[in-house]
Amino acid sequence: MTQVSPGGPPPPGSLPVPVGARTWEVSWWRTPTARRYLFGYVLLAPAVLYVALLVGVPFVFSLYLAMSDAAVGAPVARFIGLDNFASALENAVFYTAVRNTLVFTVGAGILKGLLGTALAFLLLQPFKGRKIVRALIVIPFTLPIAVSVLGWKWMFDSQFSVINWALSRLSLIGNYGSPDWPVWLGQPALALLSVMFVNVWRGFPFSAIVLLAGLTSVPPEILDAAKVDGATFLQRFRKVIVPMIAPILFIGTAFDTVFTLSDLSIVYLLTNGGPDGATEILPTLAYNTGIRGGALGRGAAISLFLFPLLLPAMILLLRTLRRRQY
Amino acid sequence: MATVVVAPRSHRSKELRRHTLIYLGLTPFLVLAVFPILWMAITAIKQDADLYLVDAVPFWFRQAPTWKNFDFLFHNTSYGDWIVNTMLISFWVSAITLLTAVPAGYALARLRLPFAENLGIGIFMTYLVPAIILFIPLARVVSTLDLQDSWWSLVVVYPTFTIPFCTWLLMGFFKTVPFEIEEAAMVDGCGQLGALLRVVLPVSWPGVITATIFSFTLSMQDFLYSLAFVSISDQKPVPLGVATELIRGDIYFWGSLMAGALLVGVPVAIVYNLFLDKFISGITGAAIK
Repeated sequence: MTQVSPGGPPPPGSLPVPVGARTWEVSWWRTPTARRYLFGYVLLAPAVLYVALLVGVPFVFSLYLAMSDAAVGAPVARFIGLDNFASALENAVFYTAVRNTLVFTVGAGILKGLLGTALAFLLLQPFKGRKIVRALIVIPFTLPIAVSVLGWKWMFDSQFSVINWALSRLSLIGNYGSPDWPVWLGQPALALLSVMFVNVWRGFPFSAIVLLAGLTSVPPEILDAAKVDGATFLQRFRKVIVPMIAPILFIGTAFDTVFTLSDLSIVYLLTNGGPDGATEILPTLAYNTGIRGGALGRGAAISLFLFPLLLPAMILLLRTLRRRQY
Repeated sequence: MATVVVAPRSHRSKELRRHTLIYLGLTPFLVLAVFPILWMAITAIKQDADLYLVDAVPFWFRQAPTWKNFDFLFHNTSYGDWIVNTMLISFWVSAITLLTAVPAGYALARLRLPFAENLGIGIFMTYLVPAIILFIPLARVVSTLDLQDSWWSLVVVYPTFTIPFCTWLLMGFFKTVPFEIEEAAMVDGCGQLGALLRVVLPVSWPGVITATIFSFTLSMQDFLYSLAFVSISDQKPVPLGVATELIRGDIYFWGSLMAGALLVGVPVAIVYNLFLDKFISGITGAAIK
């Protein structure tokens, strides 16, 4: 973007200004440039104001709420400093939630990366029926999340789980009631695996499609040139493909991390943090404390603990975008 | 001679082998992606008793398929209201989004404003401030506006993510409209606003339609805000209604749950599917350029 300094030469593409009109008596704010700026900022104002009022202000407000004893139904909130943060740190469930959040995000992230990469390289090949296969494979990502989680809840049913039926028929497990019959959402370790699995199920098409968009944006001439210069496949991958698709990978990872860290619906609908806190994550803890329990201040404090986890992803995105823009 | 005849055949068998390998590799992914949906669909049209036959093969019907799970939705729950709410919410959210994001995207892309790029990135970054951080302070905002337990609260809140996304998307679209047609319009006597309304907008309609579609689909992806702000049955949007009203205590109305989920989920998925590439290039656009 060219920045136009007042009085400088007219930017390329702007209307030519009649020389006679441009006398020094005319103050700067009457020039066409100034009028264009004014017009532009007027057009920008509604969007900027909306976002500032309903994202910016609430964010700052949440910092204040987190330091108050605000509660549902209590109009006056007292300032209580860092008590909410302190009481969160004294709660054993909080540490479980932090640990589960990290395990969930990192574990699911690695799986999505692996599955997504394998799938992207398969979909990169030309073959018959590629479009329809692609359309079917991205279904998990395009269904509204609450809708598909309900389907999984039914598939993880303690007695009528279709997964267990299949395993039982394959003689991998016994019949209903036998000790090795898995109760997916009722056993602590299995429950955490199950909620992670649903996140992976929803996210792997996204990883694949983002990666695919990156891979198809690498011009084949560059790869051919590297080949002519004697680069092996691994060298081409490491020195040409990876650097070229790095920005798109960063952006995809940043988005996926933010969505995974902040998603409440999978855990809320499948286990609501249970059994016995085994799947408690920061979003469910914040929701149950702040809205269900009515302790808005403490809930806000807990959800703010997500912010340091989100920050690296946001900085990564910001740096990638800024570097590519200019 | 012989080699001439053999060459295409070996080529064909090579192609066949390649295809077989690719399909083999894709099969697990396809099963993983599609099976849950098929299973939901089968459940939705099964009779209740048929659902709970443990010994029979669950993939087919022992009792005739039935529409009664759908009947149940429309006669025994507020499903009809939920659909209307969802459509109205999406409509108003789209209207707010277009009215703010179209001018903003245009200004950022075309008017050579100082700090335009940084402002654009700033607006887009707010898309990444997640609902889980904002929902508690927004609960206060909603109750101040006296909108709690009304779907209007969601109309106010959803633009917090549709405006950033659609502004970014439209900025990309407007950048591709050639400057010359706008200048020609201005030479012909249009003002800056006239050029936007009469020349730039008409050629940018694919972008405007895409932004509308995403206002709809992104609104329908939400769960947390509706869960936190709306608890009256007839005010709920579909995903929340299905997830909360078809589970009574320990009793799950599985057939109707799946019916209600798919009835709205499948159309959304199809539309989203058609526009998925636009979504991906929307969020990664700056990186591929």
